[in-house]
Amino acid sequence: MFDTSKIGQSFAPFTYEVQRNKINELTAAIGDKNPVYHSREAAQAEGFTDVPISPTTPTMFSFWGNRQRGASMADLGINVARILHGEEEYEYLAPIYPGDTLTGTTTLIDGKTRQGSGGHSMDILTMETRYVNQHNQAVLNTRTTVVVRE
Amino acid sequence: MATPTATRSYEDVNVGDALPTLTKDPVTHLQLVRYAGASGDFNPLHTDPKIGEMIGTGGIIAHGMLIMGFVGELLSDYVGPQAIRKFGVRFKGMTHLGDVITCSGTITEKYEADGEARIAGTVQAADQNGDIKVTGTFVATLPRRHV
Repeated sequence: MFDTSKIGQSFAPFTYEVQRNKINELTAAIGDKNPVYHSREAAQAEGFTDVPISPTTPTMFSFWGNRQRGASMADLGINVARILHGEEEYEYLAPIYPGDTLTGTTTLIDGKTRQGSGGHSMDILTMETRYVNQHNQAVLNTRTTVVVRE
Repeated sequence: MATPTATRSYEDVNVGDALPTLTKDPVTHLQLVRYAGASGDFNPLHTDPKIGEMIGTGGIIAHGMLIMGFVGELLSDYVGPQAIRKFGVRFKGMTHLGDVITCSGTITEKYEADGEARIAGTVQAADQNGDIKVTGTFVATLPRRHV
């Protein structure tokens, strides 16, 4: 069971430098062949400054950028080995391009413990990460809800 | 935000319209290994068959975020990469190797906000048996037709 007094707690900010090759790599793994994700020239031909981020590129910001991701969850009293991904939500506030340096700050915004049918309890936790770019402009908010089975 | 690749205008779409469906190639083990490396999510239940057997998931299962990525492709094909304002999903079921995922969506609202013409809608991804993997919602902007 997680520590409810931690709701509202924020963790140390982390940074992530957006890279063209990582956008290429992620969209290639997804099988998204849109040329704007794979070539700067193709992106510029479509009117973009550079390769744009794909809708789920922000997952990399967290997994690669937030080196304390696991430790932060452990600090909340979460058993990281028993996490299921419940929900994921993105709010895109401004364009993000290769070369941008993003700073993300994660806050535990909601959490509850529920009794499951088999007598096991489960924690449902929602973490919000707010990202600003190198100009301190808000560019992205993400919300991740995880289910932790005890 | 500019929307350089928009191929359709706000006036072209109506509430109730279906987005063109997207059917992906069968999910492969190699794809999950590539997705793990790309995304940085190295949870072994997505890449190591032995872990899958141990925890009773019936072999390795796909990253939920890969399936959200499929739905993202559906949306970005429809409105363009920088036209999406909000995109959220709920993960409903596990995806196994060989599953063929089809993504679909419907426009549920047209409205103006923040000086933009916007659409909102629902999306989902399901496998070859119709089992739902993710459901979600989105908000996007479309350019107005110039007259």
